[in-house]
Amino acid sequence: MSSHNESILREPLITGKDITYAKITDDILVPVENKPNKAWWIGFTIASLGALLWVVSVGYTFWTGIGAWGLNKTIGWAWDITDFVWWVGIGHAGTLISAVLLLFRQNWRNSINRSAEAMTIFAVICAATYVVAHMGRPWLAYWIFPLPNQFGSLWVNFNSPLVWDAFAISTYFTVSLVFWYCGLLPDIATVRDRATGLRQKIYGVLSFGWNGSVKSWQRFEIVSLILAGISTPLVLSVHTIVSMDFATSVIPGWHTTIFPPYFVAGAIFSGFAMVQTLLLILRKVMNFENYITMFHIESMNIIIMVTGSIVGVAYLTELFIAWYSGSEYEMYAFANRIAGPYWWAYWAMMTCNVISPQLFWFKKIRTSIPISWVLSIVVNIGMWFERFVIIATSLHRDYLPSSWAMFYPTWVDVGIFVGSIGLFFTLFLLFLRFLPAIAIAEVKMLLKSSSLQHKTKLVQEGAFPEEQVQYFADSLGKYDSVIEEDIKALKIK
Amino acid sequence: MSSNKKYWKGLEELQQTPAFVKGSKSEFAEPIPVEDVLNEAGLSTKTPRRDFLKALGFGLGAVTLAACERTPVHKAVPYVIKPEEITPGIPNFYASTFNGQSVLVRTREGRPTSISANPNSIGLNQGTDATTAAAVLDLYDMSKLENPKLDGQDVDWKKLDATVIAALEKAAAAGKKITVVSNTVNSPSTLAALAKLGAKYPTTSHVQVDPVSYSGIIEANRVSFGKAVVPTYHLKNANVVVSVAADFLGTWVAGEEHTQDYIKNRDYKSLKNGKMSRHIQFESGLSMTGSNADVRIAIKPSEEGAVLISLYNAITGQSLAGGVSNKKAQTAIALAAKELTNLKGAALVVAGSNDVNVQLLVNAINSNLGAYGDIIDLDNYSKQHQGSDAAFQEFLKSAAAGQVGVAMFLNSNPVYDYFKSEDVKAALAKVDFTLSFSDRSDETASELKAIAPTCSFLEAWGDSSSREGYYSVVQPTINLIFNTRQAEQSLLVWSGDTISIHDFVKQNWEQNILAGTGKAWKDVLQAGFIYKGTEKGGAYTAQVDINSVTTAVVANGKAITGEVELKLYESTGMRDGRYANNAYLQELPDPVSKVTWDNYAAINPKFAEEIGVSENGTVKIEANGYEVELPVLMQPGQALGTISVAVGYGRTKVGKAGNNVGKNAYPFARLANGTVQFESKATVAKAGKTYELAQTQTHHTIEGRNIIRETSFAKYLKDPNSESGRFADSHKTYDLWNKYESPGHKWVMAIDLNACTGCGSCIVACNVENNIPVVGRDEVRRRREMHWLRIDRYYTLESTNGKLTEEKLIAKDADLDYEDVTVVHQPMLCQHCDHAPCETVCPVLATVHSSEGLNHMAYNRCFGTRYCANNCPYKVRRFNWFNYWNDSRFDNYLNNEFTQLVLNPDVTTRSRGVMEKCSMCIQRIQSGKLQAKMENRKLKDGDVKVACQEACSANAIIFGDLNDPESEVSKALRNERVYYVLEEINVQPNIGYMTKVRNTFEA
Repeated sequence: MSSHNESILREPLITGKDITYAKITDDILVPVENKPNKAWWIGFTIASLGALLWVVSVGYTFWTGIGAWGLNKTIGWAWDITDFVWWVGIGHAGTLISAVLLLFRQNWRNSINRSAEAMTIFAVICAATYVVAHMGRPWLAYWIFPLPNQFGSLWVNFNSPLVWDAFAISTYFTVSLVFWYCGLLPDIATVRDRATGLRQKIYGVLSFGWNGSVKSWQRFEIVSLILAGISTPLVLSVHTIVSMDFATSVIPGWHTTIFPPYFVAGAIFSGFAMVQTLLLILRKVMNFENYITMFHIESMNIIIMVTGSIVGVAYLTELFIAWYSGSEYEMYAFANRIAGPYWWAYWAMMTCNVISPQLFWFKKIRTSIPISWVLSIVVNIGMWFERFVIIATSLHRDYLPSSWAMFYPTWVDVGIFVGSIGLFFTLFLLFLRFLPAIAIAEVKMLLKSSSLQHKTKLVQEGAFPEEQVQYFADSLGKYDSVIEEDIKALKIK
Repeated sequence: MSSNKKYWKGLEELQQTPAFVKGSKSEFAEPIPVEDVLNEAGLSTKTPRRDFLKALGFGLGAVTLAACERTPVHKAVPYVIKPEEITPGIPNFYASTFNGQSVLVRTREGRPTSISANPNSIGLNQGTDATTAAAVLDLYDMSKLENPKLDGQDVDWKKLDATVIAALEKAAAAGKKITVVSNTVNSPSTLAALAKLGAKYPTTSHVQVDPVSYSGIIEANRVSFGKAVVPTYHLKNANVVVSVAADFLGTWVAGEEHTQDYIKNRDYKSLKNGKMSRHIQFESGLSMTGSNADVRIAIKPSEEGAVLISLYNAITGQSLAGGVSNKKAQTAIALAAKELTNLKGAALVVAGSNDVNVQLLVNAINSNLGAYGDIIDLDNYSKQHQGSDAAFQEFLKSAAAGQVGVAMFLNSNPVYDYFKSEDVKAALAKVDFTLSFSDRSDETASELKAIAPTCSFLEAWGDSSSREGYYSVVQPTINLIFNTRQAEQSLLVWSGDTISIHDFVKQNWEQNILAGTGKAWKDVLQAGFIYKGTEKGGAYTAQVDINSVTTAVVANGKAITGEVELKLYESTGMRDGRYANNAYLQELPDPVSKVTWDNYAAINPKFAEEIGVSENGTVKIEANGYEVELPVLMQPGQALGTISVAVGYGRTKVGKAGNNVGKNAYPFARLANGTVQFESKATVAKAGKTYELAQTQTHHTIEGRNIIRETSFAKYLKDPNSESGRFADSHKTYDLWNKYESPGHKWVMAIDLNACTGCGSCIVACNVENNIPVVGRDEVRRRREMHWLRIDRYYTLESTNGKLTEEKLIAKDADLDYEDVTVVHQPMLCQHCDHAPCETVCPVLATVHSSEGLNHMAYNRCFGTRYCANNCPYKVRRFNWFNYWNDSRFDNYLNNEFTQLVLNPDVTTRSRGVMEKCSMCIQRIQSGKLQAKMENRKLKDGDVKVACQEACSANAIIFGDLNDPESEVSKALRNERVYYVLEEINVQPNIGYMTKVRNTFEA
């Protein structure tokens, strides 16, 4: 796939001069093959303190009971399931990037899929902890699976969306992990081949004996395709099923048929925002600017903008349907979201999710790294509020006004949430330290087709008409990794 | 003959190969490497035998050590000799008496576990009030004394008796008074024991004083009729009731009995006959009774007398001065007077005031209305409130003068509940010897020299006569738990009588009560009571000097007129404060305010705005020289310029649960016209602290939803379906659900919103029956009370712009003065939906539908996802956030093995992390079915009564089998008024509610 010449109109996916296969390997393996720098240590210390907070908070909950949280007789889920859905949603980008974009032959995914998938796996781990932690008797969590047992004919309730959820999440986690690990195999083998001693042994085991033969590559490609095929429906199914945790209920604000597509769009939205948050820092700290380029950033921003708009339409549709239904409970639920005691959560959601991504219509904004980074965080704040609005504000005022109540989080609620972020970053930083953060093999595929130096070479050979070259040169203006000289090189002819 | 046949096992044997020959000589076909293992080389094998032995040794040692922990001893010992009357697992019922009501005490294996009404009794024979339902917990109260005390030290009874007798003799010798101060004593045997003491020591006197005094009524009746009694009120004969500040359904005289009678003219059966009484209430604070009134007018305490004067004028056509000037009240009085006059002989006026003159005025009105006889019974009068304020003041005076040698307190705690606590303390200091019979070292007892702790009524022999001619027995249901002695027995001992209390009570009955009735003591023990009174009282005419009375009433009204007026009242659960250590009652939400675990200053929201306090604020209230800071409760219906505060709180020495709950309000009372009165003028100021009251309900209106359906009586008469929506055009529904068949029984419930007064005794009965944990104030604040059954209370505010039920309209309405409010009480519990939303969402099938239409909860299977509770449209599921029954942070009462004896053994306690909810007392259903099976008959209607139904004196809760078309519940559910809450979401609830009907004037 790298043998043909790509149109000059396409922006380059790799920038920089004198990029060779060896340089790619060297560049990407810098964090893996060297002692971590100060920044890593600082990040890791903070993240692991967060993870410790998580251990303390969850441990305290297990020790004393769910009463340690701010829940009550009316609001049986609040931060716990909000956080759960938030993490599952974040986990969506990874699969989308690795599977759907692979099937659609979006080559730019090659640079970001590895960390996006890692992010997915860690996010799903974080989400799964809530599944267990929110249970009254977590030590019995395995009852969710239809395991053969000695209790007689006890079986799970296949009508319950929570059972579907358990299947969906576990399937998703398994497939994502396998997909991610398969993709890692050639890269781990690369690390192995460059390492010595114990490291070589460990990476040797981890590489499952990858030998780089043609047959291996062929199988690798096929497996990737198959897994992409398996994963693609999962992208849709997981959050669809998560949304059914709410949609199949009778609670106004939950009982909504729009939830599946709306949740999936929201998940991709938040997932890409999280990828953006991570990669913008990653490319800077790890000097990956040549591999994760402005084109990647801009593409992701466009996805954020599109999915954000879908989410916005969903919000408005919900409002319309609530009014159109004529059901007083439904109408009240939405009026209460807008103007009830939790109005600030609703408007935080609206501002962060619907209004802020619209800023990406401006090229200046979507190609600005600091603004992109801030907005990516804003989006995830908004997506957290979206889940909070759906879960807590629907519950806090449902049918009988006598039971209406407010939710006030305790330190444990906050601790578990902040702690789960700590846990996530701990895992992610360990990933950066021990595994290549960019898919080396896949990026190499782009070198001979989509890299700036290759295109420059073709331009210099006069392979393209003048105006196309000019267009190409103009599009390079936004790249922070492209210097004057690179552009001048194009204009020599 | 020998055979030459040869049998061989293999070719080797046949051919006798050398290998075979060699092998056949040894025992095993292949050599066993014994030598190899045992010689030195064995040590170098892969698992050497020494290592094996080491591991074995270590393992054995470790297992031995691990086994060294003592196996917990579970003290479940079978009966060696089984008492004849006890079958393990089968409850026994004993007739007894609590607060004058004949009750049945259920015991299991010798321990009382619940109290219900004696259904055969006269008076209150159905349902109990909350205090009665909760009383069983007091038996297992850890705060009680375990031994008699002298000077604060535990002593034995011998020593105490000697000391007391010496003191009595000394006092008698010195000619000093010996006074027994008690609350109302209506027990014939207690009175006989006191008489014995009096016979031995002639200077003995008996003073009765009640914290909440009815001296005013007693004195008024003495003046009007020459009978110093509180009459019995037969509300079932009253078609119109006007109450001026009398909480007659709750705490006034005999609230529960009144409820039973009152509801008979208002419930679904009465409505079916086209009959409904009218109830008009004038009051300052919104009482439970006021919340049930058809017409309620908010007045200031100082206007109570004026309202009665106006009413008197309107009825008799006179024009005495001093009538009420409040416009709303005037209109209501005109209408009420017309109604009362029209229904003479079936009309009643009652007043809550303890002022003699006010009560004289009431007597005059009632006499004019012809209420004496059928409605007010002065012959078979009530003996529940005999306290005399004058007598107690007399005692204090003589004690302060040093004339009292011995003072004994029986069921009396004046240091706490008398309005001038310091006077009591000062007087007691001058008494030579003081003693209390209190079961705990309470505020008074701890000040005294000796405590001779009496036992609970559940451990005692005794009797009661709550009404003239009516006698009921108290019999023990358990042996003495602590080293206590029944007060009557102590009195007998000190009188020099060695008779046992059982013999004494029996003797007293046989001689004085049973004589001439042809009944034996045993009969009484079985029946529980005997009634010797007449069917109804005679007619009386009140002798009242109306002019001087009205002058005095006006003067008394003036004395309490102020910018701010304060009204003290008894709360439904806490009453006068004697049950303050009962955690069930502390956590019972007030019927109106829904506040638990505190008393508070109830203030009209508009008035609160005027004085600048907001919700969760506090105010300082000053009256009669006493000042206290109390949290504020925004109370719609409270008269502007008034504050209501409940007495019975602020106990300091009652026990773990009740100490320092709320503030003592008794010192606000004042003495006027010789009686202790609960109304006075006061000053109030914002105190600025923040204090969140623990309310079980914080949103108070229905937001225009049709979960409550109500109509007026006039509309009902025209169309019984009015507002119930029962026969509205139904639209076609489609269903994804399985239909559950209920071939045998189908348990359902009907709740009559017109009968429910909101008192909450069902809540307590449910708690006791189902071992529902009390969670304490903080957890209630977090909205985590565990009550399976709650009573939702909704306000409708009335302003010139109409009736408002929506939060945003109320907030916008500037005309609203928050005085005119109508209230509805809606008991809410698991609806056992046929399409239960909880059942489909549980991942592990922990909640499932039964073939009898019940929604079951399998605690053991629940792992606590809480989805069922989220998906419950009625929010009746309760989650065990902590191990409430055994967690030291929730140590209100139950965290000890002794109090845990109160738990009903038929119902399991739930662990942390498990969901629970109303089971419709499945244990009672089951035992009813088993009983019927053993008797080889079909279960019949009424065999199974659920706890809430049993506790309801208003018969508002009807439970039974829908498959039996003749059952009471089937009939009730065929009523036109029946509707189902949230029926439109098609969860198919199994509890039908009947519309609320108001007999308002306008209609």
